[in-house]
Amino acid sequence: MRRLVLLLAIVAALIVTASIASPPKFNGSLDIRHVEVSLPGALAMLQRTAVILSLLFVWLIAAVVVTLMSAREIRYSSVELRASALHCFALGLAAITSFVLTAILFSYFPSVVGVPLLIALAVFAIVAKIYGAIAVFHALGTMIAGARSRDALDRRRWLRGDLAMVVVGVLILGALRLIPVVGTIVWALASIFGVGTALATKFGRREPWFLAWRPAES
Amino acid sequence: MKDACQRYLEDPEANPGHLAECEQCRALFDTLGLSVEERAVSVGALPLAPWEGAAHRPWPLVAGGALLLFVVAIAVCFWAGVPPLRVVQSSLTTMQNARGFVSFAATALREASLVVQVGFGLLFIAVNTALVLLLRRAPRGIDA
Repeated sequence: MRRLVLLLAIVAALIVTASIASPPKFNGSLDIRHVEVSLPGALAMLQRTAVILSLLFVWLIAAVVVTLMSAREIRYSSVELRASALHCFALGLAAITSFVLTAILFSYFPSVVGVPLLIALAVFAIVAKIYGAIAVFHALGTMIAGARSRDALDRRRWLRGDLAMVVVGVLILGALRLIPVVGTIVWALASIFGVGTALATKFGRREPWFLAWRPAES
Repeated sequence: MKDACQRYLEDPEANPGHLAECEQCRALFDTLGLSVEERAVSVGALPLAPWEGAAHRPWPLVAGGALLLFVVAIAVCFWAGVPPLRVVQSSLTTMQNARGFVSFAATALREASLVVQVGFGLLFIAVNTALVLLLRRAPRGIDA
């Protein structure tokens, strides 16, 4: 039953993400011969590509810096993502929905109370998103380019270690990001997985979020 | 205790055949309730742990990847006539859009009927309850 609910949640998320990411002027025809590409349209696409590439470079630098600072935490989160992806996805979906609803609630409050809370929430959400995205880069890099055996690991000179996996992940996800529509969906899904794994492992610290109540022993 | 027993207890992997031969050591392990495999552990056959080789830092790969992205980004920016400020502007626009959406939703909620406001409150509680329930599960990555 729980698995069914999770699968339905994933299907719903995909539909919502696709409907947000799809072009607004889509006429229902899948025949690409009918797609009109004008010069301003092509220029806008090129500019969009330039902005995405520049942001990818910033992502790569951020990923390298964060991995150098806390490689173990990133690795823990990456392992968690690969071991229980469905849980991370469900958690990410719930967390992002919660962020949006909480932001609306804070905006509903008077400014004196609401604005500081809104800033704190935004900072937390951005940190979770950045950390989670780097964990997703690591997980993707490990799944695609990670060594399967000890011998293979020993033979490698460059393609080993956390840094290499993160760089490979950024390049693969970045390449996917450049594809129109698909890239937006893939990036949005990576964000959901990322926020989920960041929260599931408490930013790689693997500590519980809530203390369990236990009566004192005499 | 014999010397062979002592050597086995100090380094079981170096003396793998001892447990099969020594009745005394087997009895000792049985008494302690420890399950001991008689064959030696083959480290090479064990699955690769995530931390193995993780500390390796391949700087040529990192520098190459960063340089590749940098050169391609600069070239495409130059070709499309996009100034670097536009990239920052694009990120800020995304943030402003999100802020605008939240403000719009909050204004709409304030002007909505009481039923809608209560519905929003119930949705908020339901989503955060689901979040807390999901957060209570312990991470299992390493144990999986």
